[in-house]
Amino acid sequence: MIFGRNSVEKKHNRSYRKGVVLVLALAVAGAATAFAASQINLLETGSSLLYPLFNLWVPAFTKAHPNIRIVTNSTGSGTGISQSVAGIAQIGASDAYLSDAMTRMHPTMLSIPLAISSQMVNYNIPGLNNKHLKLNGPVLAGIYMGKITMWNDPQIAKINPGVKLPDHKIIPIHRTDGSGDTFIFSQYLSFSTPAWNNSVSFGTSISWPPVQGGLGAVGNPGMVTALTGSKYSIAYIGVSFERAIMKDGMGIAMLGNRAGNFVMLTPHTVSSAAAQMVPKTPKDERVSLIYAPGADSYPIINYEYAIVSKQQPSAQTAAALRTLFTWAISGNGGNAPHYMEAVHFAPLPPSVVRLSEAQINQIQ
Amino acid sequence: MSFKRLIAPIASLVGGALLVIIAFLGIYAWPAVKFNGLGFVTKDNWNLGSLYGNPIMRHGQLILPGAAYGILFLIVGTLLSTLIAVLLAVPLGVGSAIFLADGVPPALRTWLSFFVEMLAAVPSVVFGLWGYAAVIPLLNHTMFPWMAKHLAFIPFFAGATGSGYGLLTSGFVLTLMIVPLITATMRDALVNQPRGLREAALALGATRFETMWSVILPSTRRVLIASGILATGRALGETMAVLMVGGGALNYLPQNIYAPITTMAAFIVSQLDSAMEDPTGMAVRSLAEVALVLCVISVIVNGAARLLLYFSGYERMGGGGWA
Repeated sequence: MIFGRNSVEKKHNRSYRKGVVLVLALAVAGAATAFAASQINLLETGSSLLYPLFNLWVPAFTKAHPNIRIVTNSTGSGTGISQSVAGIAQIGASDAYLSDAMTRMHPTMLSIPLAISSQMVNYNIPGLNNKHLKLNGPVLAGIYMGKITMWNDPQIAKINPGVKLPDHKIIPIHRTDGSGDTFIFSQYLSFSTPAWNNSVSFGTSISWPPVQGGLGAVGNPGMVTALTGSKYSIAYIGVSFERAIMKDGMGIAMLGNRAGNFVMLTPHTVSSAAAQMVPKTPKDERVSLIYAPGADSYPIINYEYAIVSKQQPSAQTAAALRTLFTWAISGNGGNAPHYMEAVHFAPLPPSVVRLSEAQINQIQ
Repeated sequence: MSFKRLIAPIASLVGGALLVIIAFLGIYAWPAVKFNGLGFVTKDNWNLGSLYGNPIMRHGQLILPGAAYGILFLIVGTLLSTLIAVLLAVPLGVGSAIFLADGVPPALRTWLSFFVEMLAAVPSVVFGLWGYAAVIPLLNHTMFPWMAKHLAFIPFFAGATGSGYGLLTSGFVLTLMIVPLITATMRDALVNQPRGLREAALALGATRFETMWSVILPSTRRVLIASGILATGRALGETMAVLMVGGGALNYLPQNIYAPITTMAAFIVSQLDSAMEDPTGMAVRSLAEVALVLCVISVIVNGAARLLLYFSGYERMGGGGWA
């Protein structure tokens, strides 16, 4: 019919046949869905930082539990929180815990830590990417507020003596989707820089001060793409993307901690920070681990949360969730070293495992 | 029951759906309209407030501390990217329509037209992905630096070229999406002009170009305007492609043609999940207000174009020319 020779008869015939094909295709898809419905389906959505770990967990877990089917989705912590609260997803993955106001409004929602994560500050400066520039909260706040606009700004030069900084404009990249990475990064800036705390504060979505040329990106993968594609840019990216950063040859900054030292992101600096902060974890486990005291503490570490409702629609779903989470936080299960090392996470300390178990058992 | 009676409720259902949607948006967004006031369309200040703060009362509304909503930058981004797209797409679309109608051997014409029409059927997310993966690196490394250097005399073409994400990139991707709409409708119109028109012009000694430019094309003026409306409507509301190549600018206006932007439609998609984290609900209501503003702008643009259509028809009956 597109090619002009359109006898009316032929046209009808062809569209009729097309209709049959369409109906058949829909029927096959429908049957497949109906078949799958005999299993327990869990939808995980949210944090792109937690996503790589979930994708390692799911095949191993579902192999042992073939009746549970888990779909994972990297959409950002904001989506994880809002879709789990709305009941669309059973598991909302988030780098951020629920706020006090959200907890009051949705008292059935739990924030359960599954592992300890951390965040890199990355940059793309030709010639300096292997140098580990030193950056701290006030300098990063200055960059993201548009007060420090050039890489050779005196404030950056002062903490990087001997480094030849380029006379080039800084392109700050931030997340446009609701993001736990934004949450922990803005907490680092808030806790270290009063000017940031008073004007912007912290959250999964914040009102980024306008910076000419600044970029927005979606998800950690989007941050990596924007960073590698834009010379002289800077970005904050979850540690589970370290491999992508290394592969693309981007720079990883040393960050200033509360003690005033500049520290690299290593298992040692993460566990030093965790040792300081973990004892402060309350019963509902909603707590920030950012900007820990201690000479060796890495300043941006956080719990990776599953945001889950303690009231599930069916006992089977609740049981499946309990089984999954209990396995996930166990040192023989999801917190085993080979999973943690693959994404550069740290396992939950025993005291937190106990707190998480108590919360998991509330899921009914 | 007569056919007319049977069909009337179905037809009114379609029209009714539009009214219901707009009414719903209006009612839902009303608290936000009251809270935001006129500043909503005059300020560059979209701020959910402190998501982890405790809600406070302001003007009788429960909001998060620091919350404020102003979307001038979205309106500007939407209108500018659409303007660029339409400015580029109209000459391109008309040119290719003329080529397809007149410049190609008939055997090839059906095939080429087929491809142009298929371009219109490509989902916008495909354009977005292509823009993201293929166009942006090219623009960023080659074309934008060249333009900033050699076209710097044109206003807004000089200055920092940024990263490839932005206003002009969005305009390019939108152009490609709306060109086939214009080409397809214009080609049909050109082909369907009375044969007599062409023969008369040729008989008077006009060249092929003169025939097309002074006789055939002017007689399709109304179709051009109509396809322009269609294309503008699509560009205004385009979401996915712009979301992927726009650069996600927040709270500032573009300083030059390379600067990052966001459009209203893209913003609604990208911010909905964040807005749902606002326990007071004001953020989602403000997004609904964005949708309402987008509806109003679309209606205004459509109305203006229809007015143009009306006058062009009037002029034609009075014997007005092309120019």
